[in-house]
Amino acid sequence: MLFAFYSVVVTLGILSMGFQLLASRLLNPHFGSSIIVWAWLISTFLAAFSIGSVVGGWISNLDPAPRRRGQIAGVLVAVGSLAITALFGRALLAQIEIAIPEVSTALLVSCLGLFFLPVTALSTFGPQCVQFLAARGTPPGKASGIVYGVSTLGNIGGVMLTAFLFIPNFRVSTLLYIWLGVAIVSLAALIRLLRVPSSS
Amino acid sequence: MISSCLRLTLVLASAGRLAAAGADFVETYDTIYNSLTVEKRGSIVELRARARGTYALESAIDLTDPLQLVVPYTRSLYAGLFFQPKPNRVLMIGLGGAGFHRLFTASYPESLLQTVELDPKVFELCRTRLAFQPTERTPVTVMDGRMFVKRDRQTWDWIILDAFRGGFVPPHLKTEEFYRECAARLGDKGVFVTNLHATSQLYYSDLKTLQAVFPQVVLFETAGRGNVIACAVKYKEPVMTDPKNWPATSELLRPLFVDRLDLDVIRREHVAIPDLPRSARVMTDDFSPVEFLDTVKTNNTGTR
Repeated sequence: MLFAFYSVVVTLGILSMGFQLLASRLLNPHFGSSIIVWAWLISTFLAAFSIGSVVGGWISNLDPAPRRRGQIAGVLVAVGSLAITALFGRALLAQIEIAIPEVSTALLVSCLGLFFLPVTALSTFGPQCVQFLAARGTPPGKASGIVYGVSTLGNIGGVMLTAFLFIPNFRVSTLLYIWLGVAIVSLAALIRLLRVPSSS
Repeated sequence: MISSCLRLTLVLASAGRLAAAGADFVETYDTIYNSLTVEKRGSIVELRARARGTYALESAIDLTDPLQLVVPYTRSLYAGLFFQPKPNRVLMIGLGGAGFHRLFTASYPESLLQTVELDPKVFELCRTRLAFQPTERTPVTVMDGRMFVKRDRQTWDWIILDAFRGGFVPPHLKTEEFYRECAARLGDKGVFVTNLHATSQLYYSDLKTLQAVFPQVVLFETAGRGNVIACAVKYKEPVMTDPKNWPATSELLRPLFVDRLDLDVIRREHVAIPDLPRSARVMTDDFSPVEFLDTVKTNNTGTR
């Protein structure tokens, strides 16, 4: 079970940071590749990590029934918002680009609309993974270190795989569908793992 | 503070190394997009970009005769004259040191040469170190080139794409969609001129992408530099791939070209489009692995 757990943690790390490179490829045709684009993109992802972690920490301390609802809501938001980005991302960016001439405002709307929600939702599971380990006897500090260490390894893997393997060989649109598929599978697995009572 | 000191030390070390090579002065700048060196040797001022361990020559100006086209490929850009002999309105994406601009504006004083440059420091250095003074006929807009083209509603006789970032090529300026956006801004008889590097697999994808948008593409290879200038038009007739249909050099000559630009030499730079490998793919906004194709070197740069 722990192997499955760590695999999911790594996978979520890959999804989060790999998504940032895909996001840059989505934005470039519409807003260029200037430092302004990267500033908004990186800030959006960091804001999503931040808010996702806070919300996830709050969910992890709820009673079992509302916690379960919070977890399911997290999965639905992550999968739903990733699906919107994969299906309608380019069309929405084209509309935003025309509707909002000011670049920073257009980037703010684009990043919030297409990238903030999926990354926030994925980030809510970090604290819950810490809780998962802590509930099984791992000291909280150690559990936190393990989860964020393993997740960050996944982040590195996500960046390197996306940059050196995926983008050179696949269309960005194809990759977004792959991201969606992998998110569905890994979140389904995680939500099943999180349901397992700590005594088992 | 420590990082500032370290950076100053590195700058000075770099300056000293280059100064020892004989430069009158060397200045190094780390801008938000590039690592640049401005180097003066005698009357020549060079703008170089540090990339992949080399100092790639971006632009050079002879201060005693700024109309000289010091960097060879800037001469080849004038191949656009064979396709649109009246460049009344020219859009250039990528300023560099404005090496192309001086002779052009002196030879066509009534023409508009609008330039778009991403890096504000490049624009500043161009003015302060390479003695370029923009006028109302040579305005410079600091902006991403693609953003400018997308929002532009004007029509141009020439669109010149010469945008590099420290030797690297921005992927979004290499795609079929971008070339279509440029074609939409060209007049019916307009020409799209782009500076390609024929030294990597990216060259083949470049050519396939250009051919996907423009019915006619003609190449001019600058001797010994790896630069190939592609001129592309959006009409099928007349057949401009045949040099016999180009205007005579004598019709294109301008007084200031004498001793600076030999259009017969440019005419002889014409090369056939090479056989393109089947593996080369058209680059799109959805698939544009420019950085990776650019690292795969090739010696087969085409039929000569």
